[in-house]
Amino acid sequence: MKALHGLDAALEHRVRLAISVLLARHGEISFSRFKEQLELTDGNLGAQLRRLEDDGYIALRRAFVERKPVTWYRLSAAGRKALDKHLRALQDVIAVAGP
Amino acid sequence: MTAIDRVKEDLDYVASAVRREAREDGIPVIYYMWALLVGIGWALPDFAPRWTGLYWIIVGPAGGLMSWWLGARQGAKAGINDVAPGRRYAFHWLLTLLAFFLVFLPAVTGKMGADAAAINVLLVIGLAYTLAGVHLERPLLWSGLLVFGGYVALSVLELPYLWTTNGLVVAASLMLAGLTRRKRAPAALA
Repeated sequence: MKALHGLDAALEHRVRLAISVLLARHGEISFSRFKEQLELTDGNLGAQLRRLEDDGYIALRRAFVERKPVTWYRLSAAGRKALDKHLRALQDVIAVAGP
Repeated sequence: MTAIDRVKEDLDYVASAVRREAREDGIPVIYYMWALLVGIGWALPDFAPRWTGLYWIIVGPAGGLMSWWLGARQGAKAGINDVAPGRRYAFHWLLTLLAFFLVFLPAVTGKMGADAAAINVLLVIGLAYTLAGVHLERPLLWSGLLVFGGYVALSVLELPYLWTTNGLVVAASLMLAGLTRRKRAPAALA
C-alpha cells in the first residue's frame, strides 16, 4: 500500500509512538513516569528510548528531584517534525482503508 | 494480521497510554493554606479593617508564589515537567482576581450596596471554583457548589459579620476540596 511508505520506521513501533505522543503533549516526562504510564520493564523502555535518542527525536537531561536522580526526556524539533509527518501518514493509511 | 489491523492496534495502545495519564486532582496543602489565609484575611474587614489592605498586599502574592512552587514540585515528583498547565492555572486565577475587584465597581459608583457586593463575591468565587473543577482539578467542583450554597444562604439570611461569614464559607469549601481529593498512587520519582 502506497500510504504505508510515508510512515517513519522509528515511530512504527507502538511504544515509541506512544512516547512521542506523550512528549508532544507535555514538556518533559521522567523515565519513571513513562514506565508507570506505558507499563513497561526498565529494559524494554530503555531500549525504545535509546532508539528515539539515537535518531535524534528525543533529548534527555539528568537532574535531581528531592535528592533522587531523575532522567527527563523531551521531544526535539526533529522528533516533533517526524511525529507530525508520521501522524499525517497514518491519517492517509486510515483514509485509504476507510469505508 | 493486515497492515491496517496493526495500525489500529497501535493506535489503540497509544490512546490507552494517553488516557492512563493521571487526572489533575489538586494538592491538598494548597487548599488548606488558602483556607487559612482566606479565613483570616476575610475576617479582617470586620475586626481589624485597617490591616486588611496590608495583609492582602503581602499574603496575596506570597500565597500565589507558594501555590506555584508547590504545584511545580508536585509535577516534578509525578514525573511531568510541563509549563502549559501552570500558565492555564495562572490565567484562571488572575481572571478570578479581576472579577473579584470588578464586583465592587457598582458599589464604588453607588449603584449597589456594599453588602450586596460582598455577597456577590461568593458568586464569583463559586463560579471560579466550579469552572476550575470542570477544567483544572475536580475537587474544586464540590467547593464551588458549597460556595453557591453559601451565596444563597447569605442572600436570604441576615447575618452579622458578613466578611467573616464569607471567609468561613470559602475556607470550609477549600477544606472540603482537600478532604474529598482522590487518593493518588505513589509518585513517579527517580
